[in-house]
Amino acid sequence: MADTIYFLILVPMVYLAAAVFVVGIVGRVARILASPPHGSTLRIFPARRASGLRALADTFLMPQARKHTPVFWVFLMLFHLAFLLLILGHLDLIPGVGLMPADSPHMLGGGAVGVAVTLAILYFLLRRMQGPVREISTLGDYLLLLLLLFLALTGGMISWANSWNQANGGFVISKQDFGAYLASLLRFDFASPRDLLPGSHYIVVVIHVFLANLFLMVFPFTKIIHTFFAMPLNRLRRG
Amino acid sequence: MADHEAVKVLDLKGLPCPMPVVKMSQEIGSVKVGEVIEVHTTDPGSLSDFPAWAKSSGNQVLESQQDGGVIRIFVKRLK
Amino acid sequence: MEAALQEKLKGLMASKLSREMRLYLDTCARCGICIEACHAYASMPETRYTAVARAETIRRLFRRYFKAEGRLLPGLGETIELDDAALEKVHETAYTCTGCRRCMTYCPFGIDTQMIQGIAKLLLIGADREPKLLTMLADMSIAKGETIRDTKGAFEQAVRNLEAEVIEKWRGEAGREAIPVGVKGADVLYVALAGKHSIIPAAAIMNAAGEKWSLSYFEAVNFGAFVGNPEKTREISRRIIDEATELGVREVAICECGTAYRVMKHQTGRHPFEVISFVDLMERYLRDGRIRVDRAKLDGSRVTYHDPCQMARNGGVIEEPRRVLRELAGDFVEMRPNRGENWCCGGGGGLVAMGEKDFRMKSARVKAEQVRATGATVLATACENCHTQLSDLNEHYGMGVRVAFLSQLVADALVQA
Repeated sequence: MADTIYFLILVPMVYLAAAVFVVGIVGRVARILASPPHGSTLRIFPARRASGLRALADTFLMPQARKHTPVFWVFLMLFHLAFLLLILGHLDLIPGVGLMPADSPHMLGGGAVGVAVTLAILYFLLRRMQGPVREISTLGDYLLLLLLLFLALTGGMISWANSWNQANGGFVISKQDFGAYLASLLRFDFASPRDLLPGSHYIVVVIHVFLANLFLMVFPFTKIIHTFFAMPLNRLRRG
Repeated sequence: MADHEAVKVLDLKGLPCPMPVVKMSQEIGSVKVGEVIEVHTTDPGSLSDFPAWAKSSGNQVLESQQDGGVIRIFVKRLK
Repeated sequence: MEAALQEKLKGLMASKLSREMRLYLDTCARCGICIEACHAYASMPETRYTAVARAETIRRLFRRYFKAEGRLLPGLGETIELDDAALEKVHETAYTCTGCRRCMTYCPFGIDTQMIQGIAKLLLIGADREPKLLTMLADMSIAKGETIRDTKGAFEQAVRNLEAEVIEKWRGEAGREAIPVGVKGADVLYVALAGKHSIIPAAAIMNAAGEKWSLSYFEAVNFGAFVGNPEKTREISRRIIDEATELGVREVAICECGTAYRVMKHQTGRHPFEVISFVDLMERYLRDGRIRVDRAKLDGSRVTYHDPCQMARNGGVIEEPRRVLRELAGDFVEMRPNRGENWCCGGGGGLVAMGEKDFRMKSARVKAEQVRATGATVLATACENCHTQLSDLNEHYGMGVRVAFLSQLVADALVQA
């Protein structure tokens, strides 16, 4: 029974999550593009040269946050940079991508990015639980942060647990094992993941993938959509 | 140009935009239907504002008089 | 609430859902960076005065009726029903916001709170709960488009009666009207407000510059925009656009009224004429040497400038007033923050017209402190609304300044050639 559930989470649900993610985002963007344009400018002044570049800088460097909430900005930058590295690190598991040297047993960042993301999420949670930010927070805001927190913690656990067996000649579940699992997913061969991922903390991997699936599925329908909308919005402001 | 029997005189000279019309619309309720308010103002815009306000609010400007810089407008409450 | 009304309000909401509006409504991360941006919050720290809380009222209605996730999972605390209580909240949200858009300089995404409050204002109109005073003023402006034929004569007479006061400030050429009206082919159509204080100084300045100008029959202010009624906003602007087109003017100069300028400059599309602010015009006259001013008039005065939100942050008229003031005053100091980041005076969004004095004074404590910190004795600005609000603040907080329009300072300092 448990094995069936694990299989459902590790294989079909991943496909479902990816489909919801893609269709959700496409649908959301299409809904916006199908709406009539506002018609007049929504920019603010003073006007500066190279407004496109400035909108890019606003999106990726968040100078407004740096100016008004500098500590928060440090964690925001840390979180987003680390998150980006985590995405790259996970893609790097796919055989043949090769961001890290082929012979390295470590993921991109060697666990440090996972720690960085976790710290940032903890800061976000603490910040949200006090003062005026607490009053503007919704249940959804906390649930999302908790989802991210457990995603980061399980990811960290997998990374950490893997190193236990290092003395005995290698990781419990090696990068190559994860690579084989991802390759199998990409081949749609519905191979049993249990055969590809040996190790007693298999259940942690299942939880991690389950949370990741959830994350992908709520992505288009929550504020995480700002990933895609931050840039067009900043262009509106810069004019 | 006989003066109209005004039951109330409003001095709206030198007020910022849009206070003359705002004050007028607040005061019109304080007189009875059929009674007249006399407004004193120095704003040239009042000469077109008050008739337009009267038209859109269902009241009536009986007459406006200009004496040098001072403008007198007689407004009758119709409803 | 009746189902029919609810349907009508949903329809009104839908009519506001442009691409940009959807982006604004979809994106907020509730990060709270905007919390400190609002002058009302800075003056009385209550969550309801934050940009995010204001927008959230509308977002929750939007999610409830226009988003599948809001319909499926209303329990996440992110939706509200459109009922009487919601409309109360919508009213508070819309009419404690001056639409200054200062929060846009804080938000990492640049979300436009004023635009979102446009939904709030339209819902209130639909439910017949908007401030009736603003609708009354908008209706008056529209009616004026129809009654102007009958009242033109009286208006022209009143304008004639003002000419002596213009000539006191500037002796024009003999035989030339001090306040020309209805001049075909004029270079500049000047759109004033009803009050003579917005006509006399401007007339003296344009006469001093030898401008070929004409005074508009209409007032610049757009109460349709204050009350958030898109049709009325258009109709009110259209009177001026038609007049300018008929006279064939090159430029339409909007008097010192922030909303009037922004609506005409940025929200009415393209015209066969240019839209400028009267501040632009004064700056140009000074730069080209068409007028000269006597700095001695402001000797011993320390002058500071309040950037009206709709002129500066939302209109782009930022350096021009400063150049004018540097010509006028030996001791010009900036308030901080300034320009695009200036604190709102607290009078915008229709609040001055509505009265609301208690809220206006309390919510603008931060403005009074900001002005006081400059040590200025003259507080210049370029917006009727700001001028009224700043004058009220001056009295309420004992700021001890003289609040003045830029045009008034320039007209008082004109040097007769």
